[in-house]
Amino acid sequence: MEATKKYFTFSIYVAVVFIILIFGFRVEASDKENCLMCHKYRFIGRIDANGKKINYNVDEHMYSKSVHRNVSCRDCHTNIKKLPHDPVTEEVNCANQCHIKPPFAEENFSHKKIIDSYNQSVHGIKSEDAPELKKAKPDCKFCHLNPIYTRVDESRIAYEETLARCKNCHQKEGATQAYKHITHRLRHKTSRSPQEIVLLCSKCHQDAELMKTLNVKDAGLTAVETYKHSIHGKAVALGSQVAADCISCHASNALHDIYKKDHGSATVNKDNLKITCKQCHEKTNDRFVEIAVHSRIDRNEKPLLFFAGFGLKLALFATVFGLMSLLSLETHARKKNGMKWQIKRGSTWRGKSKR
Amino acid sequence: MPEKPERTDHPIFVYLIGFGVIMMILAVLAGVLFHFTLSPHALEIIAPVKAKLISVEHSAILEEARKHEKSEIHRHFHNIIEFPKLSENKRPVCFICHSDYPHSKTKKVRSLLNMHTQYFVCETCHIKEDEDTKKDTKVVYTWYNPYDDNPKGPFFGTSYDAETGKLVEVEDKLSKIAPYFKKDGDLSSAIQVQDAPLAKDYMKVRDTLTPEQRDGIKMKFHVNVKPKGHECNICHSEDGIFDYGKLGFSKNRTADLKQLNVKGLITKYDDFYLPNLFK
Repeated sequence: MEATKKYFTFSIYVAVVFIILIFGFRVEASDKENCLMCHKYRFIGRIDANGKKINYNVDEHMYSKSVHRNVSCRDCHTNIKKLPHDPVTEEVNCANQCHIKPPFAEENFSHKKIIDSYNQSVHGIKSEDAPELKKAKPDCKFCHLNPIYTRVDESRIAYEETLARCKNCHQKEGATQAYKHITHRLRHKTSRSPQEIVLLCSKCHQDAELMKTLNVKDAGLTAVETYKHSIHGKAVALGSQVAADCISCHASNALHDIYKKDHGSATVNKDNLKITCKQCHEKTNDRFVEIAVHSRIDRNEKPLLFFAGFGLKLALFATVFGLMSLLSLETHARKKNGMKWQIKRGSTWRGKSKR
Repeated sequence: MPEKPERTDHPIFVYLIGFGVIMMILAVLAGVLFHFTLSPHALEIIAPVKAKLISVEHSAILEEARKHEKSEIHRHFHNIIEFPKLSENKRPVCFICHSDYPHSKTKKVRSLLNMHTQYFVCETCHIKEDEDTKKDTKVVYTWYNPYDDNPKGPFFGTSYDAETGKLVEVEDKLSKIAPYFKKDGDLSSAIQVQDAPLAKDYMKVRDTLTPEQRDGIKMKFHVNVKPKGHECNICHSEDGIFDYGKLGFSKNRTADLKQLNVKGLITKYDDFYLPNLFK
């Protein structure tokens, strides 16, 4: 009897321990190793030897809503092997395989495929590049932060209705995230808005000093300026979500395959322009692709266009300011002649002219 | 002979057209004004005009610092959350020379030490007690807020949200724990604030001082400050200097701060090698 009681008590203990082990510790999937023990603090950081302020904070809540929420810290920061860890000097390699297996995939996920395409592109670092060019070329992180899943702001996507149907069968959490993942790719080419794309590319391409040091040709130096003066640039500046941004013309659906226009694979190469323009302009023909997109009307290069444009500007300003001057003169003369100006009973001028 | 019509006897549609034209002109004017002032493009449009009108002296140091700040946003892959800070003129004097990231010497702990600037002022850790007056003057700690003489809280960092397990978001994120000298029941601040006469005077004349004069005056600001701050245990232990309860900390937050896991990691282990259990 005593032995049975002891056995029963022991079984209870084992069961309790088992239950605690199974359900007791809820760990965040992305922070299995408790890196947030230190990195949760908002002011964790330092000024480095070069005078740069570096903040090491990772906000748990934001991270758990971001696209990398299931990737644990050391999947990217592979060189960290101990705690407290040494100063991190190695950059994260986005081509690493992380310990996430996408649905229906046999291998762990990696960005390697797109990085290979990027490395081939004009932005990829080549062995023959000058040191300053190597330094100036953007790495993955320059363009890609860790975005938070937000709703795509496009009326053509019936967000609520479609998601409601997904939730009929799938649980809310997973379905919402999967849905957001897909709807972000339903935009034209990127999940970023055209305005954001222009802003991103302008960060380097508008920096004339930087571009000069990299021996960029004249057309490249003024690329952002000429785009902003183009019909595409103006439409985007006015808030269009459908007008062409940089990526629309300079990359295929692989997004990272940007080449100089004389490269055979460039989407803006003269042999490929028809396909590129056809993405939006269905009736593209040989004449259409001759229209300069980054048009710069220089007096010496295109005198006819320059003076035509100048004439039109002159006509516009002369008409507006000429009319305003006439109105001012007329007003001045009428007042001088003793007429009063008042808003009353339909007409603004009262009294009789002295003349 | 029909009567000559008055000047105001226009048909109604004339007034309607007039009204329409005026409305259109006003709408265009409002649009232009909006474009130049409040629209997202306003800054870009005004920038060249501003550059022509206001001549700004270029500073290589300033430009580099701004470039660093911009690149930090790019370098920082994770989303940076802005935390409210005291405006420059309301910060204690220390921040004139030292930033929010004052520690840089000891690699192992410099970032962790810097983290504390979110929660308290420099003197909280670096307070120097005068040996002569130590007997009758005690150092006590309470919340300091330059905008509020008697901050009541709840203060940021004092309790957890029961649902999320994160620190509760509160209104008062600016108050920091600061030391006060207590003598005969009276409290006097042990920190150097920018509103104090010494600081005001220094700010007025600091550009005209010789390096020697500046160094001499700086010593006055460090009169209650010791170079090496407290060890972890002075605050993070059962018999530490803080009365967490009185400062408004919740029970579980107090327990966590007293037995802080990071402190153990820093003080007990030289290196803790991460196992590959989850790999």
